[in-house]
Amino acid sequence: MSTTRDLSNQRTFLIDLTKCTGCRGCQVACKQWNQMEAEKTSFFKGEGYQNPATLSEYTLTTIQFKDYFHEGKNEFSFYKAMCMHCNDPACVSVCPVSAFVKTPEGPVIYDTKKCIGCRFCMIACPFGIPRYQWSKALPLVVKCTGCYSRVKEGLIPACAKACPTAIKYGGRQEMIDEAKRRLTANPGRYMNRIYGLEEAGGTSVLYLSAVPFDDIGFRNVTRRPLPSRTWAALRFVPAAFITMGGSLAFISWLTHRKEKIRRDKEMKEAGHASQKGDRS
Amino acid sequence: MTAMKKIVSEIQSFHLFLRILIVLVTAGFFAAIARFTFGLGATTNLNDIYPWGLWISFDVVTSVPLAAGAFVLGAIVHCFHIKKLEPLVRPAIVTGFLGYSLVCIGLLLDLGQPQRGWHVFAYPNLHSPMFEVALCVMSYTTVALLEFLSPVCEKLGFHLPLRVLRTLELPLIVLGAAIATLHQSTIGTFFLIAVDKLHNLWYNPILPLLFWISAVFTGMCIIIIEAVMVHRYLNQPDETDLLATLARIIPWFLGIYLALKVFALFYLSERPLFDRPVLTALFTIEMVAGIIIPMIMFLQKRIRTDGVLQLRAAGLVVMFGLVLNRFNVSMFGMIQKNQQIYYPSAIESIVTIGIIAAHILFFAVVARYFPIFEHHSEDTDYAIADGFHRTKGPVVPEKV
Amino acid sequence: MAIGCNPAENHPISFKWIEAAIDKGAKLIAIDPRYTRTASKADIYVSIRPGTDIAFLGGLINYALTKNLIQTEYVRDYTNASFIVSEGFGFKEGMFDHWDDREKAYDVKAWTYATDETGKALRDPTMKHGRCVFQLLKKHYSRYDIDTVAKVTGTNKFDYLRVAEAFCGTGQPGKTGTILYAMGITQSTHGVQNVRATAMLQMLLGNMGVAGGGVNALRGESNVQGSTDYGLLFHTLPGYLPSPEYKDETLEAVIARYFPKTKESKSTNWWQNGGKYMVSLLKAWWGENATAENGFCYNYLPKRNGNHSYLQIIKKMIEGGLEGLVCMGMNPAVGGPDSLRAREGLGNLKWLVTADLWETETSIFWKRPGANPKDIKTEVFMLPAAASMEKEGSISNSGRWAQWRYTATEPPGVAKSDLWILDQFHHHVKTLYKKEGGRFPDPIVKLAWNYGSGHEPDVHQVAKEINGYFTRDTTIQDKDKTLEFKAGDQVPAFAQLQDDGSTVSGCWIYCGSYTSKGNMMARRDPTDLPNGLGMYPNWAWSWPVNRRILYNRASVDKTGKPFDPKRPVITWNGSEKKWEGDVPDGGAPPVDDEKGAYPFIMVPEGVGRLFALTMKDGPFPEHYEPIESPMKNPLSKVQNNPCAEVGTNVTCDLNRFPCIGTTYRMTEHWQAGAMTRSLPWLVELVPDMFVEISRSLANEKDIKNGDRVTVVTERGSIEGFALVTFRMQPFVVDGVSIEQVGMPWHFGYAGLATGDSANVLTSGAQSPSSSIPEFKAFLCNIFKGGKGA
Repeated sequence: MSTTRDLSNQRTFLIDLTKCTGCRGCQVACKQWNQMEAEKTSFFKGEGYQNPATLSEYTLTTIQFKDYFHEGKNEFSFYKAMCMHCNDPACVSVCPVSAFVKTPEGPVIYDTKKCIGCRFCMIACPFGIPRYQWSKALPLVVKCTGCYSRVKEGLIPACAKACPTAIKYGGRQEMIDEAKRRLTANPGRYMNRIYGLEEAGGTSVLYLSAVPFDDIGFRNVTRRPLPSRTWAALRFVPAAFITMGGSLAFISWLTHRKEKIRRDKEMKEAGHASQKGDRS
Repeated sequence: MTAMKKIVSEIQSFHLFLRILIVLVTAGFFAAIARFTFGLGATTNLNDIYPWGLWISFDVVTSVPLAAGAFVLGAIVHCFHIKKLEPLVRPAIVTGFLGYSLVCIGLLLDLGQPQRGWHVFAYPNLHSPMFEVALCVMSYTTVALLEFLSPVCEKLGFHLPLRVLRTLELPLIVLGAAIATLHQSTIGTFFLIAVDKLHNLWYNPILPLLFWISAVFTGMCIIIIEAVMVHRYLNQPDETDLLATLARIIPWFLGIYLALKVFALFYLSERPLFDRPVLTALFTIEMVAGIIIPMIMFLQKRIRTDGVLQLRAAGLVVMFGLVLNRFNVSMFGMIQKNQQIYYPSAIESIVTIGIIAAHILFFAVVARYFPIFEHHSEDTDYAIADGFHRTKGPVVPEKV
Repeated sequence: MAIGCNPAENHPISFKWIEAAIDKGAKLIAIDPRYTRTASKADIYVSIRPGTDIAFLGGLINYALTKNLIQTEYVRDYTNASFIVSEGFGFKEGMFDHWDDREKAYDVKAWTYATDETGKALRDPTMKHGRCVFQLLKKHYSRYDIDTVAKVTGTNKFDYLRVAEAFCGTGQPGKTGTILYAMGITQSTHGVQNVRATAMLQMLLGNMGVAGGGVNALRGESNVQGSTDYGLLFHTLPGYLPSPEYKDETLEAVIARYFPKTKESKSTNWWQNGGKYMVSLLKAWWGENATAENGFCYNYLPKRNGNHSYLQIIKKMIEGGLEGLVCMGMNPAVGGPDSLRAREGLGNLKWLVTADLWETETSIFWKRPGANPKDIKTEVFMLPAAASMEKEGSISNSGRWAQWRYTATEPPGVAKSDLWILDQFHHHVKTLYKKEGGRFPDPIVKLAWNYGSGHEPDVHQVAKEINGYFTRDTTIQDKDKTLEFKAGDQVPAFAQLQDDGSTVSGCWIYCGSYTSKGNMMARRDPTDLPNGLGMYPNWAWSWPVNRRILYNRASVDKTGKPFDPKRPVITWNGSEKKWEGDVPDGGAPPVDDEKGAYPFIMVPEGVGRLFALTMKDGPFPEHYEPIESPMKNPLSKVQNNPCAEVGTNVTCDLNRFPCIGTTYRMTEHWQAGAMTRSLPWLVELVPDMFVEISRSLANEKDIKNGDRVTVVTERGSIEGFALVTFRMQPFVVDGVSIEQVGMPWHFGYAGLATGDSANVLTSGAQSPSSSIPEFKAFLCNIFKGGKGA
């Protein structure tokens, strides 16, 4: 749905990956604030020191490591995978029980009490964020809450608070301006792109990177907000219903009328015939 | 105890095939219990990469159009008043009702919290295609139930309800077709949100329209298949001639579908289209075996009028034009490059097989005990005895 | 320049400030054997063979000297570059003169300045005299040309030049550079000389005492700075006062030996006040019992008879010479070299006391894998200790800021703070001595212990005593001011400490931290100085006297004008005759003034020592190979630091051990792992012991990422996972490719996540001055498969 609401003060993350040292302070802070279980891991799952392998019902954010040679030099890059808290979220639009809500402050939150576990949000999310409690008999969907419980009390999210270097948090326009400022001040240091600015119609998590975004695991996501694609079809529902129902009703009436006329004619002729027969 | 004894003896009189079906249904039932006892994670091969698997792909996305015969035939016969095909309506309605009921069961199994299913009504989201589908499927099932109640009431002699139902018959059919249009197409709308995931061979903005059209011609083909099956196995008359009439409409729908599909592919889809050899192969099979070949077949009179060949053509449409298509859209086309492959677990397969078996079994049982094959004209007048009392003698009149 | 350190991983909060500097245009140079998370953020990364830092830094010194990138004014006026050296100094074929082969030591006193008849050092301000320090320096480092350096360090020449240009370029006016270092520099048989080399380079570039300059040790343990400040090392008393040896028979002897007078008129020579601090310390310890008559109980101080560093203690324990050992937050079974011998040695103790938050490998050494508890006679006591947020007190950071912290939550169960534990030790030992007597009970029995009478000792009383107070009413004349103090008043600054027993101070460098105005360490005012250099003078309190940058008098020229007007640390206000900005390093006017003073106030000559006078292994750092080395020393005939203690089980057998081994730390675990390997969220991140190897080594040994491997040295072998990475590269040494195997040393057999300890592999070769083991460079071999294979 298009909205003309003013997003300039919406709480937004600016994650400058040229500053991220892959320390995982954010991962641990998230676990601590949300009291999530630690997963059983062994060695590392992925390049570098990556653990756990990916987001899951126990892990709402991970640092994805990339250890490679880029343009002849070593690169050791880190990407904080997390919910993008889209401005026009696909998950909000597809959830049949309205369990997802885009809050006015910015975080996209999720009401566990409403969820029926249909997993449509998992299909819908272009970033592949929502995870499922496969380990439970009555599973629910799990995803980063944007620390809404903190944000609405005026605090910043746990990961942003713990991060000593890379994560900034503030109004959306402020973060965009800061990102642009960094790109112009130090063009040699950055890929000239703010990921999250336009993806999925714009998100509340903006990234800057030194290496190509594709190299370190970012997905190529459409710029058009996803709900608009569904709505393009869904908005025809009432019309389709009325058209279909109406035309069939009309056709039925038409054919039945034709039938009736034909039968009346037959009966009249039969009546005449019998009348004629009677007279003779 | 007599009732039990009666049931048991009835079952023992069933054909072996039906008894096997009973076993499969029972197995499916226990597999369903396993799903609730141990949870989805333990019993299915679903995971965070493949949150939707066999149950959604088959039990929902494929089964819904497979049950489309009801509304299609209802509309053809009662709205377009092609009375010739009237005998085929009731079986189609039964198929439809059973199909949709089993879809509901399949859905409840797949949901993580089925006990909260009513939340769809309590916290509706008008922007969600799933909300729309849930609503429509539930209403349609109700409509199908009401339509199905006609033969039930006839058998059990409930006169007044029957009269009411008779009056409602046409409105229900119109309503049914309208609702069916909505959810058949909206199942396609589901996948519009998977814009970066569903491969370009299937992803385009008119996917809902294509889903609706394919539901329509599938419904017709299912009727053909069903009619041939009940002729072969349930001692029903050979309806080849009737079916030939139906078969004349089918290639038109196939043709429109093909045209739209080609248009969408070349003018509406993103590129690249043919970068994944496996998907290209699946797409080709779907279009050639499922649309083009049957279309050519149905255009030929000799095939239309031949019982065996009718079946084959219809079967091709259903198998490749519909089932493969739905699996391509909901499962195969969603597999990303270099991603692990999903295949259903034993429990998932047993449940799905159980559901299919249940469909066939209950159809046969209903056919056995309820008047769905009797041909009766709409003109038959039912004398209304005082209020609710039964009339003497069989309600169903002799063949006209 | 981050050399021998990995701030992004091991000091992540510090990295915030490093990145803030980068945002302002600073360039980060990372010098490390492997491409770490710090290197990933660096502008320039170069690799360096472990143990070759002096070659690297010597090459930079040579580059700065030959390309004339030094800050000449600074070098001439503020260092001993112009001083003439006596004939006692010489260097030939890898050895300095005056080596005593019997003592296996140099006669350090022979390396002196040439002096005039009054004893004042002779100088040549033109720095051209053949025997002046500057010329000797140039000659010594002329051997460190780029080709030789590249050969030794294995660094690519082109990369090395980039570093040289970038860092030596900071000697220019308006530019500044800092050197960060940590264990990569210190944990070597020439660790102290490594640090010396960094200091020399910084002095040549004029980077000492200026904003953004300095040699900055990244302190590791959260309060290692505090531990060295308070004299927990065996060779110092609190405040880096010397711990007297057996030959220092009186307090006067100590003062004469360690706190020399200077002949330089403009040298502040602050250590000359050392006697006052010794007396104030003795008064703190023995209170009223310490009087002028009895030399302030000087004879109660234990007199050291040699080196009692960590390795010596462990060695003695292994030989069976120790009856008991108390380990507070210390885990010798994992943290020290040659772990297998250390663990065995623990079994020789009659009793062992550990104070930790968890069971550690040391506390359960008696049931370690392979040990039979029935054979071990040691009685082990485990005291549960409180964590840092469960007790009140201060922690001192790498910038010498003491920041006060409060108790956030009470300790669980019966866990107690270290303060309580030590208080209890004191109480019980004192009682026992009073009751039973002993050989010499007085030093214990007469201890002053005024920390309140509550269950938990009052940490504020401790802090107040550390700061110091007056024992009687005192009047002090401070230039033109008369200061009046009452008995019990806190001493405002160590300048007011006396040697007549009128003051008490538990640690003179912290005098000023808890004054009559209150607890300075608890201040949290984030207002910066007008110079905007991030000094925050009212945030906590830094020693000494809240000075934020040491030797800041070197940031101004001799007239008191800052060398860098954009970064004025201190400025001399000539009209008001006072300094503005940071607390100046001594309040005296600038050098040119009649009463002016040189900047380096802690050395007698008042200027920085390019030529060292007290270093055991030489006045100039010289490259020697690590004890276990893969090549012959190309720089001289002397393979290793002649003063280093080698130990017995070391080898240079390249056939058995062809790879270089090195150890390091990770963000996710802490030291010996006791604090982190039982926390599930951290174990989730790094659950297993692993070693990092290059792809070429992996191919050679048919090892894939994730395979189990065994690493062997002369001391023992361990098992772990192999992490095959682009970030490790072999070193090309003399045309031969030498591989390296790197590993974290956090693992042990105790706790939730267990694994083999890297220190099973390391040797006890130690640096002569600091006695620190050479953890960072040894020889090893690696095989596919676990130990069972």
